[in-house]
Amino acid sequence: MIKKDEVLKIAKLAKLSVDENEIEQLIEDMSKIIEYADSINNVAETVDVEFDNINNIVNAFNEDIVLDSYDRDEILKNREGGENGYFAIRKSIRG
Amino acid sequence: MSYELVAGLETHIELSTNTKIFCQCTTAFGGEPNTHCCPICMGMPGTLPKLNKKVVEYAVKAGIAVNCKIRNISKMDRKNYVYPDLPKAYQISQLDKPICYEGYIKLSSGKSIDINRIHIEEDAGKLIHERGGTYIDYNRGGVPLIEIVTEPDFRSIDEVLEYLEKLRLIMKYIGVSDVKMQEGSLRCDVNISVRKKGEEKLGIRTEIKNMNSLNFIAKAMEYEFERHVDILESGGKIEQETRRYDSELNITESMRGKEDADDYRYFRDPDLVNINVSEEEINRLKDELPQLPDEKMHVFMNVYGIPKDDAELLIKYKKIAEYFEEASKDIKNKKLASNYILGQIFRRLPTDWEKEECGISIPPEYLSELISLIESKKITSSMASTALEKMLDSGKSVREFISENDMQGIDDDVLKEICMRAVSENQEAVESYLGGKEKAFSSIIGYIMKETKGKADPQKAAEIVKEIIN
Repeated sequence: MIKKDEVLKIAKLAKLSVDENEIEQLIEDMSKIIEYADSINNVAETVDVEFDNINNIVNAFNEDIVLDSYDRDEILKNREGGENGYFAIRKSIRG
Repeated sequence: MSYELVAGLETHIELSTNTKIFCQCTTAFGGEPNTHCCPICMGMPGTLPKLNKKVVEYAVKAGIAVNCKIRNISKMDRKNYVYPDLPKAYQISQLDKPICYEGYIKLSSGKSIDINRIHIEEDAGKLIHERGGTYIDYNRGGVPLIEIVTEPDFRSIDEVLEYLEKLRLIMKYIGVSDVKMQEGSLRCDVNISVRKKGEEKLGIRTEIKNMNSLNFIAKAMEYEFERHVDILESGGKIEQETRRYDSELNITESMRGKEDADDYRYFRDPDLVNINVSEEEINRLKDELPQLPDEKMHVFMNVYGIPKDDAELLIKYKKIAEYFEEASKDIKNKKLASNYILGQIFRRLPTDWEKEECGISIPPEYLSELISLIESKKITSSMASTALEKMLDSGKSVREFISENDMQGIDDDVLKEICMRAVSENQEAVESYLGGKEKAFSSIIGYIMKETKGKADPQKAAEIVKEIIN
């Protein structure tokens, strides 16, 4: 069972605000998800989880040769705001 | 009570590949914002990253050069965090199977700084905070990095600086990065804690992020050390957190609580397949490595007889070291070549950049030729110095400035005559020399050199003069 402070920590990492009255429901929902995910533990022992590599492909590499990048207008097409070729967002310093 | 500093380093080095780590956009520095981008490095849905082969080769080379073991099978992981410098909201990195592990760099004191791991990862985009907003340029996003993580082995700021200088030089020698700190191709996070001297247990650490100048690193560490000591002395507790160094105020300030690995929800990147590096491949890359700075230092000092400080200066600039090797290849007195390079030639290369680029106007063979003329006593060193200036001005060889006639030196009888004249015209100097003033002697020799336009062998002239006056 997930704990209240764990819910709050995840919310903080995900930069989500959570109301006090939502927490009970979140605990219930998230616990269910974790329980479901935990079922993987029952099969994991038969798989090499360290290097799971289902199709045995290794070393799929690009050569170090420059190709054209995309046209900037294409790259910026879906931006909101921004100027001079930059994306712009609300002032955001990692904190 | 005195405290001891304990520090570990995470150094990010941008690899000098042509293309980004998972796509074929250029890694060129600068460029108009967002012009080195494609759907892959922008993390658009449905795109498939593919690892740049050169990144693996460079990482392995870096690992070998700092005595790491190389992992034959490694993989890429996703490190999740939400911040606009990463358009995908995760960074592709390596968690539990880094490509290199367990290496070390030896400091001049003989102490080893252990390297825990070197992993490969992608760089993030660049955020510019101004006019109340944040502007994003993703040109740097996806540029390949290696992160070199040490154990907390440092006990002083000087050790940190020496390690970084060494690491930087090694990476430059092996050609995997231009390690230009001012362009951010070498950036450092310092983990720092303090403990009372004699104590075993490590204190709580803080991490100072993302510094790209040795000077700032030293200042930030000094500040942070004092801050820790002050907190502990006043009975407080250090918060484990990530801090930023403000170079204008010369302080560190809190950015955020330190995340643990768990908080990043690392998992294997399902888009990327395993990386296999065979022993043959490792050996091939090892063979490609040039002689490393420490080995070169050893040869310069112990085989060529170059004094330590001079050898360090030569080695500091890879191309200068190579120039010296080339110029001194066929001459006996290698120190002479070193002296000319560090003296007359360096005066013409005042900036680090010029030395780095080895912008010497004459090829090393010309310097070699000049020195062999001194060695065979065909010209004097003062003639050589004058000729070298002209050579450096014009880029021409010594033969252009010193004729066969000059090289014959001065006939013994003529020299004797000039010496006699020198004695008779410098009576005052002769007397003070005889009165015990050694210095006065050089003015007599100076007279002879002037009279012969530098062609006389000063040693020979000195012998003759002594014969005359005694």
